[in-house]
Amino acid sequence: MSTTMQLLRTDWFGLLVAFLLGAIMLGVAQPSFLSTYNIYVILTAFALSVLVALSQMVIVAIGQLNLSVGAIGGLAAITFAGAMDLWNVPIPVAILIGLMVGVAGGALNGVVTHVTGLNAFVVTLATLSIFKGTNIGITEAQPFYDIPEAVKTFGNARFGFFPYLLFVSGAILVAVWVFMRRAVLGRQLLAVGGNRNAAELSGISIGRVVVAAHVLSGTLAAVAGMLAVARLQLGQPTIGDDWLIISFAAPVIGGAVLAGGHVSVGGTLLGVAIIMLINNALVLLNVNPYAVQLLLGALILAAVALSRFRDPA
Amino acid sequence: MSMKVVDGRAGPRGPTLALLASSEAGLLLITVGFVILFSYLTPGFSSPFNTYALTRVLAIDVVIGFSMMVVLVTGGLNLAVGAIGVCAVMVGGWAMEVAGLPILVAVVLALASGAALGALNGILTVAMRVHSFVVTLATMSLFFGAMIVMTKAQAFNALPAAFVSLAKLKTYFFASSMLYISIGIGVLLWWLFHHTLIGRQILAAGANTSAARLSGVPVERTIVVCHALSGALAAFAGLMLTARNGAALPSMAGQLGMDWLLPAFLAPVLGGTLLTGGTLSVAGTFLGAAMVTVLSNGLLQLELGEFWVQAFLGIILLVAVALDRLRAHLMAKRRI
Repeated sequence: MSTTMQLLRTDWFGLLVAFLLGAIMLGVAQPSFLSTYNIYVILTAFALSVLVALSQMVIVAIGQLNLSVGAIGGLAAITFAGAMDLWNVPIPVAILIGLMVGVAGGALNGVVTHVTGLNAFVVTLATLSIFKGTNIGITEAQPFYDIPEAVKTFGNARFGFFPYLLFVSGAILVAVWVFMRRAVLGRQLLAVGGNRNAAELSGISIGRVVVAAHVLSGTLAAVAGMLAVARLQLGQPTIGDDWLIISFAAPVIGGAVLAGGHVSVGGTLLGVAIIMLINNALVLLNVNPYAVQLLLGALILAAVALSRFRDPA
Repeated sequence: MSMKVVDGRAGPRGPTLALLASSEAGLLLITVGFVILFSYLTPGFSSPFNTYALTRVLAIDVVIGFSMMVVLVTGGLNLAVGAIGVCAVMVGGWAMEVAGLPILVAVVLALASGAALGALNGILTVAMRVHSFVVTLATMSLFFGAMIVMTKAQAFNALPAAFVSLAKLKTYFFASSMLYISIGIGVLLWWLFHHTLIGRQILAAGANTSAARLSGVPVERTIVVCHALSGALAAFAGLMLTARNGAALPSMAGQLGMDWLLPAFLAPVLGGTLLTGGTLSVAGTFLGAAMVTVLSNGLLQLELGEFWVQAFLGIILLVAVALDRLRAHLMAKRRI
């Protein structure tokens, strides 16, 4: 097989070409696209969304789905903000509390899914309600405003076009990439998603892998939620409400198979990048920003149709 | 009104136990228990005003539950129920307010657009050979986005008085007249699934796709029919909600219509409809919705904190599905 064919067969090559073409066209049509500030805005949105997408991706890898990604992120966000606002705890402790919420939420999803053998869809629909309901119960739908200056500054500081938030997301992105490629547990996630019985017969503890995937998913969602607090400068209870579509869209565009066993960190990254590009194009070209919902839906359908075409089952 | 008692899942100890073990009877007992408890705890619960408000909410949630149930029976699901409901309602609102069409024509138009959007879900599911989850996830965003772009997020709030008054009728026992409409829809669905050829074909295809295909059931057609029916029912629920609100609101089902998802799944899942497809219980869905409505209304009346109701419903869903799982497990054991 020639190199070109090999490149075409990867998850990321076509997406990279599409992204570059789109970026060049947008840059020509609207020079302000390439302004430092605009790139900073795109990268900030990217830093948050990529974590949301990864949070869903690790669950898609084991062949399940997680409707509660946004609800966990929101709950972690308001506990993080609430701990600093109400109890005045130091920032590192607040971060730890936020992370614990993510770990606990993910562990609940994983344990219930594994122990009862119920469809992850129903379990995470129920926990979505529990987490979101707890969020609303604690905050009574009012934001926490009193966030330390250091957090606010971090969420809005930048080197030129490079937001500080992207340091966190970038490091996590690399870590997840290494984890999925090199770590034993990462490979086990894909093995369980690809063929559960084969994985079990080769000695993998399914329960451990399922719970680990959900804990990882919850933790990633919690980090995304806390970054959103830093970015918005307040503990908004609605953080996470609009994450569902993008959490699925990016991995699916990136070539993930929803039945499990095949995900691509690079593809997911490019999926998020393309969505951010579309979003930005709609804003810069003065198109109704709500059209992004429409386009995201069409994009998911196109990605699924394309994967059917590439790999007819 | 149920398949469950007939198909012997209820266990071997004679009819009384069988009836008790069915999820319908259990739900009925629990719901009645809660009604008695709440009436005892708070006088507001059994007031005529509250029973009227409660039955009006129930009437809508029952139809939302039916809308999900008819897709669950194929082994699929429909995340786009809320989005379709809102889209259909906006079509109806436009027809009444802008085009000035008669109410009946506008209602038919709204139902037809709901059915068309649902059919599109079905056709895409069949054509792409993927699970309806990913198709309806995409169309939920697609439909809702298109609706917002076309309506510019503006409500139609000058609807004809005759349409709005439909939701205000009270009948015997201070129940909303809309509840009888929902019961009527339930009876029609029961008849469809148990007494017509296509209904039987849908059940067969949902239970075992390949066996059904081998015995000549047009499996693809059953999937499209179920999704179209789901769309029409979502449109109907949307119209009832519109009549209650007195306006066609783009925000009535929340962002992307997601606020409908919990009631949509709670009612059929509590009522014993399996997510794997092939079985359904119309009466169970009705009772599931009744239990949820009674509980959320009662909790609000008790003033335990209105903000905690959603968390509570989530816990109930989790416990209910886990118990159902446990019961199926115990039944299977006893049979061996």
